[in-house]
Amino acid sequence: MKRKLMPAFFVGPHLILFLVFVLIPTVYGIYASFTQWNLNSDPVWTGLDNYRTILFDSGSTFHRQFWNGLKNTLLFVAMSVPLLIVIPLMVAVALEHKKVKMKGTIQAIIYVPGLISISAAALIWSLIFNKQLGVSSNVFGSDAVWSTTQPYAWMIIIILTIWGGVGGNMIIYRASINGVSKDLYEAGDIDGAGPIRKFFSITLPSIRFPLIYTFVMTTAGAFNVFGQPLMLTDGGPRESTTVLMMYIRQLAFGHGDSIAGMASAMAVLLGVVILVISALQYYVMNRNAN
Amino acid sequence: MSKNMTISKYISYLFLISICAAWAIPVIFGLTTSFRSQTEVINSGFRLLPLEWIMDNYRAILDNTSTAPIVRWLGNSLYIAILHTFFVVVVISLTGYGYSRMKFRGRDTMFFVLLGISFFPPVVNLIPSYKIIDALGWVNTSWAMIVPGLAGMGNIFLVRQFMLGIPHELDESARVDGAGDFRIYFSIILPLMKPVLIVCALFSFVGSWNDFLWPVIVYTDVDKMPITAGLLLLQDIYGNYRMIGQLMGSAMLAIIPTLLLFFFAQKYFIQSINLNSGIKG
Repeated sequence: MKRKLMPAFFVGPHLILFLVFVLIPTVYGIYASFTQWNLNSDPVWTGLDNYRTILFDSGSTFHRQFWNGLKNTLLFVAMSVPLLIVIPLMVAVALEHKKVKMKGTIQAIIYVPGLISISAAALIWSLIFNKQLGVSSNVFGSDAVWSTTQPYAWMIIIILTIWGGVGGNMIIYRASINGVSKDLYEAGDIDGAGPIRKFFSITLPSIRFPLIYTFVMTTAGAFNVFGQPLMLTDGGPRESTTVLMMYIRQLAFGHGDSIAGMASAMAVLLGVVILVISALQYYVMNRNAN
Repeated sequence: MSKNMTISKYISYLFLISICAAWAIPVIFGLTTSFRSQTEVINSGFRLLPLEWIMDNYRAILDNTSTAPIVRWLGNSLYIAILHTFFVVVVISLTGYGYSRMKFRGRDTMFFVLLGISFFPPVVNLIPSYKIIDALGWVNTSWAMIVPGLAGMGNIFLVRQFMLGIPHELDESARVDGAGDFRIYFSIILPLMKPVLIVCALFSFVGSWNDFLWPVIVYTDVDKMPITAGLLLLQDIYGNYRMIGQLMGSAMLAIIPTLLLFFFAQKYFIQSINLNSGIKG
């Protein structure tokens, strides 16, 4: 009897937490997307109305917000993810160079920004990009106010993202490159392969799995972008950097009446986009690798 | 050394040093600006070091207890992050033991079903999670940030993976000697789990300290919010950059705890990758 109850003691608490904070809210989030809901009273079932409005009703604000938010989110993903893969890879390869010293210090300097919160990081960088005080005007001689002028508004968002995001992928690549057999490189030397040839023929194929993993995870993370545009540009200029998460938050928790049903439908659509793209990436990269 | 090797060494150095400079300068500039007077900030343009070092900004930060209670926000963040981390360690060690060492029907199926569900993008449960926190009466309390994160599967996955790699001999022999699950968990498994628990604890602390979206949603009470949400507010209060030194000082205070943690536990942060043997490939 007692032995039978023991698993409940060890696994049970987490199971309850999981039900309350993951499973129920997820199911409820999907349900709410088919309703009209203001967070306070009970949701009223409206079937596919929210989705119809968001996807097809070109006269509706929600329609415009969703497509603008999705476009900006995709733009962010397309700009940030390649850099968040390529730069850490370049750093990891450069750090593998036998003659490079102070590897630990260099690695620490690049890794540390990843431990800084988005709000603190944004404050620090907004000083750098401040027209009057920072680097952008004084060093680069730019006349524009960067946070309210395109393409600078996107540039500062991407720069902040790269600054904070390179370190995590870098240590994954370093660990994987370290794990590649030295024999392969020696064989490459004997065949007279140069460093570039060795990178493409030995290093890249050997770290295939970590590459797929970081690519999928970095992309899924980038779709949730929220803090950088909120802090740096507040979505401007003219909503050109307002991402989907900002609209979702605004609709559900902003000033005035909550439109949580509509926001839930947008959240579900964003979730579906993330799932489809992750699956696609995994499928394509795995197939090409084999 | 071949000529090729020398050239590639210089290219590597050039690349690494420029990145390090670009990575470090913003923090250094923010730090030194926090010791500058507003007049100097406005008039001197971009200079890495202050003409005159002053402490006034930090004094003003400590004195402000009404519109922008920064010390309070830091205290809230510390309280939240410490309690969250403690509960994470308790929950993941118990649960990790359950899913790796106990025998019950459907154990592995259950684990993988939960893991599968947890891959669902969290944006979908954001709005109802707020509703649940509201129903529990936790809006504007620290529990709103301490508890929900305990439901995650990521750390439990790591603990379970780690435990699968450790032979069962020790706990089996204790079991033969008549020790119960609780004894085995506490005196044998918990010490064995230490490396993975330390890594999970560090990342939980950093994650909790830096969380931004969730606190921006669940806190409206200025006195109750953590520093990340506070800094968003500060940007409005000190808007138009009237008090840049204080703004930078606050940002500096907000990054100290995680940087200290990194300084003392660097090897755990860097080696964390080895726990996730699946990624390393």
